Amino acid sequence: MIKKKLMSGVLALAMVASLIAGCGKAGGEKETTTAGGETTKTEAQEETTAAEGGEQGDAQDVITIEIYDAAANFHGIQTGWFAKVIKDHCGLELNIIAPQVAGDSLYQTRTAEGNLGDIVILDKGDFLDCFNAGLIKDISAEIVNCPNLMDYKLQIDNYNKGLGLDDGVYYGIPAQMTDTSPVTISGEDVYSSIWLRWDQYKGIGMPDITSLDSLLDVLAEIHETYPTNENGDPAYPFTLWADWDGGDNMIGIANVVQLTTWYGEKIKESAILKPDNTFVPIYDKTAGYYKITKFLNDAYRRGLVDPDSGTQDWNSVMNKISNGQVNLLWYSWQQGFWNSVDRKQDGTAFAVIPVEDMLYYADADNYFGSTRVWGVGSQVEGEKYDRIMKFLDWYASPEGLTYEHCGIEGFTYTVNDDGTFTQINSNALMDNLPVPEEFGGGGYNDGSNQINQWLCEGYCTNPNTGERYSVSYWKSYKEATMTEMKKEWMEKYDAETPVEWMEKNGKLLASPNVQVPLETYTSDLSLIRNQVNDKLCDYTWKLIFVESDEEFDAMWDEMTETLNGLDYQTLYDFDTANYQKEVDAKEAAKAAAGK
Amino acid sequence: MLKNKRKQRGIKEFLLVLPFIFLVALFSYYPLYGWLYAFYDYKPPKTLQQSEFVGLKWFVTIVSNKVKTREVLRVLRNTFAMSGLSLAFSWFPMIFAVFLNEIKCVPFKKFVQTVTTLPNFISWVLVYSIAYSIFCSTGAINSVLMNAGLIDKPIMFLQSTKGIWFKQWLWLTWKNAGWASIMYLAAISGIDEQLNEAARVDGASRWQVIWHITVPSLLPTYFVLVMISLANFLTNGMEQYYVFSNSFNKETIEVLDLYVYNTAMGAGGYSVSTAVSMLKTFVSMVLLFASNSASKLIRGEGFI
Repeated sequence: MIKKKLMSGVLALAMVASLIAGCGKAGGEKETTTAGGETTKTEAQEETTAAEGGEQGDAQDVITIEIYDAAANFHGIQTGWFAKVIKDHCGLELNIIAPQVAGDSLYQTRTAEGNLGDIVILDKGDFLDCFNAGLIKDISAEIVNCPNLMDYKLQIDNYNKGLGLDDGVYYGIPAQMTDTSPVTISGEDVYSSIWLRWDQYKGIGMPDITSLDSLLDVLAEIHETYPTNENGDPAYPFTLWADWDGGDNMIGIANVVQLTTWYGEKIKESAILKPDNTFVPIYDKTAGYYKITKFLNDAYRRGLVDPDSGTQDWNSVMNKISNGQVNLLWYSWQQGFWNSVDRKQDGTAFAVIPVEDMLYYADADNYFGSTRVWGVGSQVEGEKYDRIMKFLDWYASPEGLTYEHCGIEGFTYTVNDDGTFTQINSNALMDNLPVPEEFGGGGYNDGSNQINQWLCEGYCTNPNTGERYSVSYWKSYKEATMTEMKKEWMEKYDAETPVEWMEKNGKLLASPNVQVPLETYTSDLSLIRNQVNDKLCDYTWKLIFVESDEEFDAMWDEMTETLNGLDYQTLYDFDTANYQKEVDAKEAAKAAAGK
Repeated sequence: MLKNKRKQRGIKEFLLVLPFIFLVALFSYYPLYGWLYAFYDYKPPKTLQQSEFVGLKWFVTIVSNKVKTREVLRVLRNTFAMSGLSLAFSWFPMIFAVFLNEIKCVPFKKFVQTVTTLPNFISWVLVYSIAYSIFCSTGAINSVLMNAGLIDKPIMFLQSTKGIWFKQWLWLTWKNAGWASIMYLAAISGIDEQLNEAARVDGASRWQVIWHITVPSLLPTYFVLVMISLANFLTNGMEQYYVFSNSFNKETIEVLDLYVYNTAMGAGGYSVSTAVSMLKTFVSMVLLFASNSASKLIRGEGFI
């Protein structure tokens, strides 16, 4: 996995280098090569926006801050339109330190120096460690003067009390908070379910899917009917990748662990949490990890798995999705690489296809925040500190959130007469559309918010429009996307959205949002975790590609034995004890919400 | 007076050497301080001072049960196989240099030398990208084979373990041979031209000149290089194996350095990785001294 990260890191660096090379002239001399004769016009426009821009528009006054960002997929100085927004509104330039790109050892070297970053965004376990080691600043005095952050006081209080702090003492701000409730599910679809191309599904006569076996039949038929994309490149239902194996607090390969949620099971590190709130080991043959690995192996044996699955990385998969070489998606966000307004209109977009025997596990809205936490480095002082707090407040303000979730007015959306928004250039991200010079230039995707982590989720309501920030909730968007395809879907499944269908049919297992500080691994345990995860991933990949049931089961038993030899039991005991606290809190939250 | 002068000279020369002593101390001895980590339960963000002293715990952990011992043995097997293969073929750059030297057409010779030296400057990550685009299921090789109708299903070159050690050696040689031969080319140009001329006057064929003059003159250089690679026997670098490894071939491709990285660095297990690399140092030292005494025994002179 790290290998792939490394590669993407190198590519990212190369990209940054080319970006810097490309932007150098435009930024320095205010002379655009594209505009040709319109050079003067661009200059004039730039000046006006800078003047309008806000309090700290003066370029000389910009302070560069370092953000240690566990969420970022980009390492280096933020460029493009979002850089301009931050510069104009907060007088800051962001130097993003991304361990996901530059390697986890950054964490060790930077903490050894006692300076992780000016702003830190960490997984909550690491945040707890850094808090204990004195690397995080007490922001109690200043945060109370941040009106936008104080809108989320309840959530921020909840987190800091979890750290064992007194009332009114603040160190961390949880990421991705919402203003809904801990038991609401705002999403229209769940994180993982079956997404098929509507035209292809229709093309084979829309057979009902009752189980994983019948799903394979359907996929086999789709594969047979549509073996290639329009250009003749081979297409497969299953295209796997290894980049995120062992991540997100789940051991095992990411393409399997996410799919266990189809049957109401959720992997918590080395344990599987069953729908009845009991834990079983990950290698239990009656549980989801076995079931899904077997399912993928069956798919392989029926020729439905892309042969490059074991050796490609996410970037190749992304390209394949955009090229139409993938017939099945299982993450809700993946559709963003294919579904466009046009494709929804002509019915070639991906849509959720419910499977009868599934029980979809879904996390409720991150009311109390996601698994990451924002903080300020303990060494930050003076003017820099003021600006950072202003920045954090702005980042949670309606203005900031509009930039984060909606993009640029006049480029990705327009304002209607009643104040609501309408999306334009819906392919801006997908096709990396060039951004006009007045907004900062560059490609839209290249210049998008590389922090890759919000303080407030897009489900929050924008007080200026009365609608949620995320495009998919806008009235205008719903009208525009009320396509033939959507109508057909609604008619067939008798529901507005997949989540509604699941709720109606009792197929949704909602897990309330809680914020429980979990213990981090000791060195012994993280060594075990790492070895166990490595072995589990290696075996799982091999298991997907075996040729017979006997071989599959023999290898599974061998794997179980190996994992146990690596002290799996110790890890499992720790994980179940640790996550039991979360389970209890969730039960309490459910009881409190009267569900 | 004389004594004083000699002293002065001594000081002067010492000052000349001083920067190098400093460099050696800085880059070869100072890092040894890091060995301390192997005896502590170190986990960032805590500092070493805040960590607990655990003695030899991490050394014991490495082989604490059957499965773990098997793992270490497997990794050692891979390391020895791959290093052994390089060692067994270590004459290759020498022969390459000898043949290169025999090319009479200078532009062609320069061309070959440049082309073979260039890959040395390409990073392994890029080498893998090249390998991927050539060998993936829709890559050049598979496309040609499929179009020719020789196979009906793409061959998964990159995840097969067939002859993987040899394949890895080929990649390594492709990347390094040109560069490694530079040393030999320099040694060849140092051979006394009189020897060659005398041999030719005596009627030696080209082949005989190579066999009786060039190769024996290169042997001392060769032995020194073999020695150095012996001391580095366990250090066959991780980049190459890191980029080429995947879940299917890890069993046979994971060498010691990569194992240290995989088990420890990823999860921040710095103490245990220090312990493993310390063991590596000891084994390397044993190998070095062993080969040194072997050399003394056979050639009558050692290297250290």
